[in-house]
Amino acid sequence: MDKPKLDRRHFLLGSAVAATAGVAGALGAKVHDGELGAPPRTYQGGVPWQEGLADAPPGVSGTDYKFFTAAEREFIEAAVSRLIPNDEVGPGAVEANVPFFLDRQLAGPFGRGDHYYLGGPWAKGAPEQGYQSRFSPAQMYRAAIGAINKYTHANHNGADFAKLSEDERDALLKDFEAGKVQLEDGVDAKAFFTMLLQNTKEGYFSDPIYGGNKDMGAWKMIGFPGAHYDYREWVSRHGEPVPFPPVGFKGRPGWNSET
Amino acid sequence: MRILIRVVLVLIVLGIIGGAIMAWNLGRASALPSGPVTSVAAAKVITQPIADGPNAEQLRRGQYLVRMGDCLSCHLRAGGEPFGGGLGLNTPFGVIYSSNISSDPTNGIGNWTPDQFYKAMHDGIGGRGQHLYPAFPYPWFRNLERDDDDALLAYLKTTPPVAYKPPGNDLIFPMNIRFMVSFWNVIALHDAPKSQAPADAPPDWSRGAVLVRGLGHCSACHTARNLLGADKKGHDLEGGVLDAYVAPDLTGNQRTGLGRWSVDDITEYLKTGRNNRASAGGPMGDVVTYSTSLITDEDRHAIAVYLKSLPASPDTDIAAADAGSMKRGAAIFSDACTACHLENAVGQPTLFPPLGNNAVAQQNDPTGVLHIILAGMRVGPSPTRPSPLTMPSFAWKLTDQQVADVTTYVRNSWGNRASPVKADQVAKLRRKLDLVNVRLTDNSGDQP
Repeated sequence: MDKPKLDRRHFLLGSAVAATAGVAGALGAKVHDGELGAPPRTYQGGVPWQEGLADAPPGVSGTDYKFFTAAEREFIEAAVSRLIPNDEVGPGAVEANVPFFLDRQLAGPFGRGDHYYLGGPWAKGAPEQGYQSRFSPAQMYRAAIGAINKYTHANHNGADFAKLSEDERDALLKDFEAGKVQLEDGVDAKAFFTMLLQNTKEGYFSDPIYGGNKDMGAWKMIGFPGAHYDYREWVSRHGEPVPFPPVGFKGRPGWNSET
Repeated sequence: MRILIRVVLVLIVLGIIGGAIMAWNLGRASALPSGPVTSVAAAKVITQPIADGPNAEQLRRGQYLVRMGDCLSCHLRAGGEPFGGGLGLNTPFGVIYSSNISSDPTNGIGNWTPDQFYKAMHDGIGGRGQHLYPAFPYPWFRNLERDDDDALLAYLKTTPPVAYKPPGNDLIFPMNIRFMVSFWNVIALHDAPKSQAPADAPPDWSRGAVLVRGLGHCSACHTARNLLGADKKGHDLEGGVLDAYVAPDLTGNQRTGLGRWSVDDITEYLKTGRNNRASAGGPMGDVVTYSTSLITDEDRHAIAVYLKSLPASPDTDIAAADAGSMKRGAAIFSDACTACHLENAVGQPTLFPPLGNNAVAQQNDPTGVLHIILAGMRVGPSPTRPSPLTMPSFAWKLTDQQVADVTTYVRNSWGNRASPVKADQVAKLRRKLDLVNVRLTDNSGDQP
């Protein structure tokens, strides 16, 4: 993927296009039926159905990284391992493969911001107004990682964020969260932290088909049985643990072996 | 030398005929649309009231016979107009397209004489004197009375003309030579033996026999084919194996047939496409939508009474299921199937079929249940149950081994008993259904 170029010319061009095309044009091409912002459709004569077609979730394949550079991957691992550290309670974010989840999300429609309105104006919104940025999530990550490393270079003897000690990283992340750090290149440190934390939780707890929550470790930790359906037998059995092992969209080990 | 040439020529001709018969046998086994196109709107055409007039009685009778004969299941293509034809029937040797039987004088049968129509229905001879392929069920329709044929034609001539010419058949040699069908007719086409009512038969048994054996052409699917592609003698209505489906056993067999069904179960199924035991999907869903849901309660009762009189088919030896397969299958069932069929497969009567003592699940050939799991199924809508419930395709979710395991488990749990399924059977059907690569709805959302 190309590095986002947010110089003035692209910036002006982008806003002109967004202004001309309007919301529908900016969203229409990439949004599918059933998703937020999808154009309405009219059905007649019956509910559409065709044998063999599936409403399948996308899932991921392979293990290669598609978005992060090696340096960016180091940053992400160094950051998410502090957000959810590996300990006796459960797997850490790195152990749960959250960096891979983030990589694939940022390489796809989420990273491109297909679901976001990214045109201007970019006034600083109230918290309840959600994400307010000219950056797509992929652009945000790329710009923020660069800006944070610039910041650590200047303030931590030329070291990358990934090379800092756990305590130093914790302190920095807390400062980002509190909005105490001013980053360069138009990056809002707090907005980035908010997104990173949210996405890390998503990768940690979402179904394994999206690349994170390796071996359903996060679900095992909290006793969540996953995409299991019929609990009626257990509804009135209070105080008993639910006997179902966690299961994802694409199954669990018991589907393939008798153990 | 001349004698030798003659012998060789005779052998060649015999070879062609033999090849044709064998090809036809293969084709007969699969003369079904690959995807149902059931449309409630189309069914409305054949239920429109017919205004009083000089021959209203004949037209009403013809319209009713069109429903009883399930003409629309085949003479309607997806997106087409009723009776316009053009539905491709997939066969291993090519595609046969249903004909236009609307009142259109050029493309349909608007100019046909009653004699021409009778010849088509009775002898399988088309309007231009050509042999019709027995994908058109004249071997059953020939049992109609001449009056009924005349009423059918009179009604069809009142249907809206459809200016559409179905594509030509796309068959391989020698099946593309219509003349070959005449050999088939000589060997395989017989008048149906008159059914003999059992001593204690209810009064409408005979009516049921006429409907099942004649216009209803049930055995076209529900009886296995012999080498000639005709009904296999001695296996009457014991279930037929179609290309990618199974038409279940309709005899009194407790396991695979209607042995556990009451007459009321059968009539409810025919009327609504659902009952406490099963739902009608696939080709049978079309039959319910275009035919059995639109006939009278009396006729449904007669059909049910007749079917209940069929002696049970002989049972077969069943291999024991592998313990590992059962255990994996139980895990998959609990996780993937219980959303609708519920734990212990008790189901939701008339909505989601219970799977215990389920005849569809226990057919000797597992193709039907595998088809449903791989490709999903839609219950045929009917006037009383207009919402077509669906089961989704699991092809994207389950591997061949997982489908085999869960099917083996379903076929051998909660009172069920049927042969275990192997992964290669699933793989074969998956290829046939073109589901090796996941096919997504346009509703599937973001894809990487």
